This record gives sequence, structure tokens and C-alpha cells, in this order.
Amino acid sequence: MGRSLYLTSAGLAVLLSVALWPGGVDLGAAPGSPAGQRADLAPAAGGDAETRRALLDRYCVSCHSERLKTGDLVLEGLDTANVGPGAELWETVVRKLQSGLMPPVGMPRPEQAAMDSFIMSLERALDQAGAANPNPGRPVAHRLNRTEYSNAVRDLLHLDIDGAAMLPADDQGFGFDNIGDVLTVTPGLLERYLVAAQKISRLAIGDPTLPVSVEQYDLPHLTLRQEDRMSEDLPFGSRGGIVFQHAFPVDGEYIIKVRLQRNAISLGSALRGLHRENLIDVRVDGHRVQTFTVGEPKDDAGQSVVGASELEKDGDKHLDVRLSLRAGPRTIGVTFQQENWEFEGVGPARLPVSSYGHTAGKSLSNGDYGKIRAGVDHVQVVGPMNGLRPAETPARERIFVCSPAAVAEEEACARRIISTLARRAYRRPVTGDDVELLYAFYQGGRSQGDFDAGIQAVLKRVLTDPEFLVRIEDQPENAPAVYPVSDIELASRLSFFLWSSIPDDELLKVAEDGRLRRPDVLRGQVMRMLADEKASALVNNFFGQWLWTRNMKTLRPDRFQFPDFDENLRQAFLRETELFLQSQIREDRPITELLTADYSYLNERLAEHYDIPDVVGSHFRRVSLPGARRAGILGHGSVLTVTSYGNRTSPVVRGKWVLENLLNTPPPVPPANVPPFPDGEGVADLSVRQRMEEHRKNPVCAACHAKLDPLGFAFENFDAVGRWREQDGRSRIDPSGAFPDGGKFDGPATFRQGLMEHRDLFLGTVAEKMLTYALGRGTEYYDMPAVRAIARDVAGRDYRWSALIMGIVNSQPFQMRRRS
Amino acid sequence: MTIVGKSLPRRTVLRGIGTTLALPLLDCMVPAFAATPKPIRRFGEVYVSMGFNMPHWTPPTEGPLEITRLLRPLESFKDRLLVLSGLDSRPAEGRDGGVHPRTQTAWNTGVSAFPTEGPNTRAGTSLDQHIANEIGGETQLPSLELALEPAGLSGNCAFGYSCTYLNTLAWKTPTTPLPMEMNPRAVFERLFGASDSTDPSVRLRDIKSDRSVLDSVVDKIARLQKGIAPSDRAKVSQYLQSVRDVERRIQLAEEQVARELPEVERPAGVPATYEEHAKLMFDLLVLAYQTDLTRVATYLEARELSARTYPEIGCPDPHHPASHHGNNPEKLERLALLNTFHIGLFGYFLQKMQETPDGDGSLLDHTLLLFGSGMSDGNIHLMYDVPTVVVANKGFDIQTGRHMRAPKETPLTNLQLTLMEKMGLQMEKFGNSNGELTMISIG
Repeated sequence: MGRSLYLTSAGLAVLLSVALWPGGVDLGAAPGSPAGQRADLAPAAGGDAETRRALLDRYCVSCHSERLKTGDLVLEGLDTANVGPGAELWETVVRKLQSGLMPPVGMPRPEQAAMDSFIMSLERALDQAGAANPNPGRPVAHRLNRTEYSNAVRDLLHLDIDGAAMLPADDQGFGFDNIGDVLTVTPGLLERYLVAAQKISRLAIGDPTLPVSVEQYDLPHLTLRQEDRMSEDLPFGSRGGIVFQHAFPVDGEYIIKVRLQRNAISLGSALRGLHRENLIDVRVDGHRVQTFTVGEPKDDAGQSVVGASELEKDGDKHLDVRLSLRAGPRTIGVTFQQENWEFEGVGPARLPVSSYGHTAGKSLSNGDYGKIRAGVDHVQVVGPMNGLRPAETPARERIFVCSPAAVAEEEACARRIISTLARRAYRRPVTGDDVELLYAFYQGGRSQGDFDAGIQAVLKRVLTDPEFLVRIEDQPENAPAVYPVSDIELASRLSFFLWSSIPDDELLKVAEDGRLRRPDVLRGQVMRMLADEKASALVNNFFGQWLWTRNMKTLRPDRFQFPDFDENLRQAFLRETELFLQSQIREDRPITELLTADYSYLNERLAEHYDIPDVVGSHFRRVSLPGARRAGILGHGSVLTVTSYGNRTSPVVRGKWVLENLLNTPPPVPPANVPPFPDGEGVADLSVRQRMEEHRKNPVCAACHAKLDPLGFAFENFDAVGRWREQDGRSRIDPSGAFPDGGKFDGPATFRQGLMEHRDLFLGTVAEKMLTYALGRGTEYYDMPAVRAIARDVAGRDYRWSALIMGIVNSQPFQMRRRS
Repeated sequence: MTIVGKSLPRRTVLRGIGTTLALPLLDCMVPAFAATPKPIRRFGEVYVSMGFNMPHWTPPTEGPLEITRLLRPLESFKDRLLVLSGLDSRPAEGRDGGVHPRTQTAWNTGVSAFPTEGPNTRAGTSLDQHIANEIGGETQLPSLELALEPAGLSGNCAFGYSCTYLNTLAWKTPTTPLPMEMNPRAVFERLFGASDSTDPSVRLRDIKSDRSVLDSVVDKIARLQKGIAPSDRAKVSQYLQSVRDVERRIQLAEEQVARELPEVERPAGVPATYEEHAKLMFDLLVLAYQTDLTRVATYLEARELSARTYPEIGCPDPHHPASHHGNNPEKLERLALLNTFHIGLFGYFLQKMQETPDGDGSLLDHTLLLFGSGMSDGNIHLMYDVPTVVVANKGFDIQTGRHMRAPKETPLTNLQLTLMEKMGLQMEKFGNSNGELTMISIG
């Protein structure tokens, strides 16, 4: 039995004509305008309040009384007509009822219709109270997180940097790493900003005194199969290897060093795959610059000609390419030439699991490694040697909007460069003071060097400025209690929401001209930004954190249980989810399709894992998913793996994931002294589900686990790395169960159907999570009227992503601030 | 710092030997006017989470130390060890699932972490930071925080507790957790800045540049403060405070440039194996002590709720499930292997500290170290009798080469309060302490 907690579009239309919803649903009405704030400001009519009081008294107050105070909540005697003052408490009540967690199992419940109408009337009362006393909240001054910093540098200077290498990881709040309150500024961090600013300014300008440095690009050790073409950017007929972009800061000489994989991670172990000849191909921007032959030739009888051990130890020491290169970002590709023949029946094709890390120091004979191919372990770029200032790079073009032909022109040109830079970096129109401050730094640098050195000093100063590193919003002196953020500030909110980066010139200009708040202009900008490549930040950062799929980058499934889990599969998981989510947003699909989509993006490795036939080749392509096992993100290997442990599935973790991320009802915390998961003899043959019987036998556990575990059981057919299975141990998988409010399912397909019956709860969840991400602060009880208004609107527009994003952009919390 | 009399600058010795080894503070380098230089005291903490296989850890008797299976990796330092039993880390106790984040926090602060998943995390100023506040002003970095696991995991982190509590050991103030560094290259840069070269003229030039940037930033912040909302001022003040902190350090750096840093190659990145990574980070820590860039450090060898597996040493289970051994003999054995591995890495660190000359002895002679875990039996999250080792010598007025059992219900913080006293601090209370652990003193 499902329950629709919001009305269908038809019902919505009816209700709209009956009562006015506060919160500004109409996109045409600017927030803060009379139309946006129209509402029935009188408190809810007596009838509603009395009905609410009656229901509470009958079903709730027996526990939540003054005397008992169960769960620290008292519902006895509260004013149900004027809900504004107690809004925080009432919002909790709404949440608990929506999830079906209250009243608890075993206690008398009202009829479903009465429950639905109670919730709706309470929400309506809360919305009206919210309209009477709007509270858009206010995000705290918000330091750029690491991702935002890297993107900002990329967009400011057209220079790609490795933010993860320069800055520490950020702390999280509410499941996201862009929460203003959590992003503190410590002395250690500030020092890193200083170091980063120094480095970046030298790289961007192309400082010829840059010392030699070594940048290393690693491939995952050991479990990356390098038997196929690895990328579209590597030549046809190649296998394995790596391709990457490297920003060469100056014209000069560089060495590209290729090192091959060894049998074990410890130093001194033997190189792999050198029992046969390998041709290594090194390319810069697609042009071959060097080839190497590595490995021992064999005579006609297949016998080695040269002794093995020297080769195995040092066979890759000479794989260095020294080149003169011009500055700028260049694509470096290192790969092997594919061979189309194999020795018959010689040795294993895959590395034996036990060799992982265990073969340190031992020199293995080639016979042990049979068919295993040589692979690239890492590539280093060393340089620059004999560096010269570059004439042109994308970064220099971006920065030097003019070039002084003579000393007399330097001052004017410097000021021009400074103005352009400061406007973009500070995200606002530039003042005379800004320019003077930076000009002083220009002079300092110029006096010790040349024009470029002066600009380099300016860059360093800009990159450490608080107006670059922190998003600070002003509070005008006579601001009313609730006031709109300025157009300039709105532009930043937009760009950090959709791009995790600074506004571009077009967005800034629209804001500076005062046009941004015009509804058609605002919508136009949002659509433009979503269509831009930079919107991939939304996919990677919002979804990656909301769905936990970011963790896929670092998880390590147990190698003995899942010997087939290799780095190719890990990368495939990540790519599948990335491509799928991008397509959903780009094609503006309904949000519910996240759960039901009948297509995905696969390559051969992934299709093999999913038992889907007829997908050949290492590139990704869109595939219709056959059958009903997998659909949408619930069938993605990434999601299924991040919700498991390394060596087994966990219905509890998966159930928690569903409750938290899809149904907006995080389960309560577990008690202390939970006994360990039954393991070892006696239970080895039992399935995970059977071993969790304890949860249901013990009434203390069952209170939560009876509702939590079944949601995880629905997925038990997917093992801890997302592969379909029919058995767990000796038992057949039993994926049946029920939702907290009773709706039954018997496998992934019916589970998805059940989720669809809760689609409005799902929508509310997505809206709330995305609002948290967009605002950079956790949602509070006073945001709930806005969340509900957004959700109603989106439901009325076919649940489209564009409707959700526009709904958030137009909402009060996004456009306004509360005075402090 | 001016050198009076015929003292050798370090560079002279460097050229003479023709090597690029780090230079210890030789006696002839000590300024002539200082007859007995004030001894430099250093402090460090190394933490391994989720308890040990206790029957293999706890020495059988009190008195002269008997080496048990898990203490074997530290055997050659027996005379410097004080193994303590009977200490409790009770603030982490609680009836809910947040026990792991609380354990890590309580071990170093003596306080129960404030339950929140949001930004308002709160604990207490940690042991190392109290010491850093006291002696950190004398070095370029007040303290160094090192870890081996990346922070920033999403979701599935801790029950009702922010991931922050798991990501760090060090709390500068009750509300300022310090980020821990896991990338050796970044640590190198924290020690030696953006300069790729340790050449003093280059260092000085970069230092001056940094100073002028920061002075300018301070001015700007003052002007900005006027227009922003009162609720934001705290955040901007935090920024300002950090700037001032960095300025002070830069000033110290300028004074210490004469100290001639040794030539060390900048690491390329994070090594492939845990063991290499751990050892490289220990090497950098030794370097930081040796060059006196800091005197206080915390090192998170394994954090609470770690899911890292160690198949290379025979423990393929993730660390957290491995600690829940359920009294199964096979699992207990694997746990013992894991503990031995972690303790062995600490032993590697002690070895390096002992091999590094410092003044009239070795670095180890002048460093007080605390090693341990916030739980004893990780299986039941037991916080009584947590495994604890102090590495010291009589110079710190601490008895060593012994195993002592503290009276029942002695909080770990009593020991930590006493350690602070040995480092020269005068504090009345730390966390949930209720007195000092005088039994460890010699005098």
C-alpha cells in the first residue's frame, strides 16, 4: 500500500484555485514583490486546528504527554492553530509522520486518509506561518573549498591545477563539503594558500626561473588490466598505458620518464611481461615522439635468448625521452602496441591474488607469469631545463589582455591587466582602491625584474585575497529584516551552485547591468549555465556526495572474495554513473527517472560484469538495459559497492542509504554494545539475511531494524561489488520485504515500483538535499515551506530537473537573506 | 640569531664532508656564550585505533618490563619504555553508535565529542595543542599533524557525529579541529615552503614576498569588516587570526634562515604501499624535529573506523571489522598480526629518532612520546585499561624500563596532565583528569 503525500497535478490545480499557496510558486513573480508574498495571512481556520488537536490527543499524547515526555517531545496542550512559534517542533512532527515511523508499530494509528489530511493541514498552516514571517536564513561567509578553488583558478587563469595536491581535503557537514560553517580558515590552510599562490603565479606567467620539478602521473598498481585500448586519445591498435594533460609552464627541455609495472608493490620486485617483446609508443599531442622496445626476443622455438634477471630488475631504467617543448597544456600518451597473437596454454592470464605485495624481493621466473602483459606503472614529467619565457600559452593569453610595446606603455597596460583580473577574481566591479593596492605589488615585482615579474606579483596577491578565497555577502546599513542579496552576489550564488566556480564574464556583465533578476534573463542564464561543460561540476560534486558515489574512488573490495574486481572495473563504475547523470540533466529528464531509467552507459568490462551481452570494446556507449534487474542508479555498480563492506553486502548500510538519501528519513543511531556480526563456523553457510535474524528476534533491535533491514534485502541479489547472484552461501537469495509504511516488494523491480509510489517523498528529499548544496548550509525548519513550495512546483512540471533547479534559484532562501 | 665566538656554521661542515646529509647540532656550533644550552624538549603522539589483542599486549607483571608478543617490535628500546595499564578513556563511553569518533577525540582531549553532523563540532583543546601553545612559539611551526588516510569521505561516516571527529586528533581550541596532512610532498612544503630550493637567499626572498602579501591582506580585512553582517564577522576574524599566525611564523622563519636547511629531495607524492607511506611520513617527522621546524607532532597511524585492509601482512579484513574479533581465535590471531605491524612502524620511528644525533645525544633522548589506542578490547568498545606506552628517559623525570598499573579508574588524562607537567606546563586540569599520575615520576 503506497501513499501519495502530495497531490497529482490535477489535484494541485484544484487546490491552487481554492487556497493561495505562499512562497512564490509563480516564476513570473519576483520574490519579495507583493505577488510573491501574497498569502492568506489569517491563521488556519478553527476547523483545521481543532481537527489537528483532536487527532493529536487521541493518538499521540498518550506517550508525548507533559508527564511522560517520551523522546523529549511534548505534544499535550500545544496550540495547533498558531503553529508559527513552535514551527521547529511541528516540522519534526511532519517528518516523522511522513516517514511512517510514528505512531510506532503496535500503537493505534489513524486511518490513512485522516493521517494524510492531518499532515497536509499542518503543512498548510506551517506554510502560512512561514509566509507571514519569512525567514530565508543566511549562509555564513563561505570559504571556497578545494574543488571550488581549483575551478576558480582554472576559470580565472585558464590554467589547470591539481587542487588535491596543493590543498588539504575539506571537512563535511550534512553530507557535503561546501558547507560554509564547516569550512574554517586555519593558519595551516592559509600557509598552503600562500604556497599555492606562489606556485600558480609562476606557472601561469611562465617564470623562466622555475626550478626543475617532477610531476608524477600514476596508474593503479597491479590490478589495472592493460590489454585493451585505454582511451579515445590513444591510437588505434594500442593497448594499455596512460594519457594525461600536462601544463608545461615554460618553453624548455623536459624529460618524460616511463616506468613499467612490477610484480609487487615493494621495491626490488621484477618487471612484468618482459618475456616477450613490447613496443612502447610515446606521443605528445598525438604525434609520436619516441618508441622503445623492451623485453627479450625469443628464438623460433619460443625459448628466451637473453638471461632474465637483469632485465627484470632494470629493464625500464632507460625509458626516458628528452624533448624540447613549447609551453602550454599538452596531451602526453604512453601506450603499447597491441599484438594479435598469444602463446598457447602458458601460465595464468591474470595476476594471482597472493602475489599482491607478497613477492617482495623474490625474482620470479617468467614461467610463473605466463600471459601477463607488461604495463605502465607511472609516467614522470621532469623539467623545465634551460627554461625560457614562453611566448604564448592559454594562461598568458588570458592574463595579458594587453602587451606593452615600450616602457612608457607599461603602467597603463599593467592597470588594465589588474582591473580585468580583479573583477573576475573578486566577482564584482573593480574600484580605484582595488587597482591602487595591486598596482603597488606590480611595482614591487617590476623593480626586481621585468613587466612579467610585476604581473606575477599581482597574481600572487590576488590569489591570497579574502575576496577571492571567501564568498562574503554584504549587509547594507539599513537593510530590512529580510532583504534580497545584490545581483552581483546572486551571480556568485548561481555560479557556485551550478559550476562550483566563479561567474564568467557574461554572467558578471548581466549582474552588473542590473538585468539578472528579470525572470526571462535569469532563466536564460541558468539554462545557459546548465548546458555549459562546467555544469559537470554539479554532477560530480552534488550527486557524488549525495549518493556517496565519490567514495568509489578509494574503496578497496576484498581481493580474495572479489578477485575480478580490478581498476578497470572501478573506473567503469565511476564513468557509468558520471555519464548517466550527465545525460539525465542534459536531457532534462524527470527526477524519478534516476530510479527507473532503462538505459545506462557501458563498456565491455562493465557489461561483462553485469552479464549483458554484445557490448564490445573499451569505450563507453549508451545501452538499453535488458530485463528488469537493473534500472537507474539502483543498478549501478558504484552505488551497490559504496553501500557494502569490502567483503560482504550490508543490508543495514543499504537500507540506511535508501532511508537517508531517497526517503529523507535517516534512521536513529544504534545503541552501544551491539554484538558483532555473526561470522565463522556454524553460520558460514547462512546467507547475510539469515544471519540478521537476530535483528528481528530481539524486540529492542526490531524497533528500527524491522523497517531498516528489508530495504537492504531488496538488493541482496547484488553482491558487494554489484554483481547479480542468486545464492548467498548455501541459501537462495530472498529479496522480499516491505517499506516502513507497509508497501511490499519482492525484488529490485517491485522495489522500484514501490519507490515510485513514494515519489513525492523522494522529490522532497532531492529538493532538500539540492537546496542544502545550493545554499552551502544545512536546511532548517524555517526552510521547509520553501522546500515544499519547490517540490509542489516541480511535481506540477513533470518532475523535471530544470524545474527543480529553477525552483531553487527562485526560492526565498536562495534570493534573500535574513538580517543579523 | 647571532653566533658569538668561534662557532661553526653548519654549511662549513657540509662542504667539508661533501655530502648532503642533514646536520645535527654539533657542540662546536653551540654559541660560545651558552655554557649549557637549554635542552630542547620535543613531544609527539602516535595513535592506532580500535584497540589491540590485549592478552598479547599486557605484560604479565608489574615492575621491570617484560616484553610480550606485541611489544617485541619495541624490544630494543626497552629501557626507554614505560608501559601503563589500568588507564581509562571514559569520556568516549556512551549508549549509541558514535563510540568511534568519540574514542578518537577523547583520547587526545579527555572530552566527549559534541554530537553533531553539522559544522558546530566541539571537543576540547587537545594534549598536543596545549603543549604547542606553550612551546610552539619558539619554532616556525607550532605543531605538525600527520595522517595516513584521506579525509573527506562522503556519507557513511559516523553515527550522528561529523566526519571531522574521525579525520583529526588535534584540536587547537575546542572548536577548531586541525586538518591532518597525508601527502608527503605537502608536508615537505609545509616545512620548506614554495621554494623548491633550500638556498637561504631564495628562502629569504620568498619570505619577504609572503610578508608583504600578508600585511596587505590584514589591512584589507580590516576594511572589509565594516560592511559585512555581524554573523559573518566571526568567520572573517578567524581569517584574520590565521593571517596573524602565519605572519608570526614567517618572522621566525626569517630569523632561522641562517640555520641552513639540509638538502632533501622533495617527495613526488603518496607512496604506493601503506608501509612505504607510513615510513616516509615518519622520516619527514624526524626531519621536522631535526631541523627544529617544530617540536610538537601528532601522527594518526590508523584512524577510528578505518576500513583499510592489510593483506600483505596476513590481515585481509578491513581494520574496523578486524577489531570486532568476537573472540574467534583466527580473528584474534589476525588482529595480533595487524597490531604487530602497526607497533612495528612505531618502532621504525624510534629507530630513526635514535639514529639522529641531537646536541649531546640523539633526537630520541630529547623527545617525549606517547603511543597508544583509545580502546583496549575493540570488540566490545572497551575503554578501560587502554594500551599506553610512554617513551622517555630520566631527563624527563619519568621512570622507564617498567610496566606500571595505575589505580583503578584512573583516567588517561591524569597521565596526560602529568606529561604536560614534564614538558614544563603548569595546568590544573585536562579533560576529565582528577589529579596527576605521580607514580611515573622518578623524583
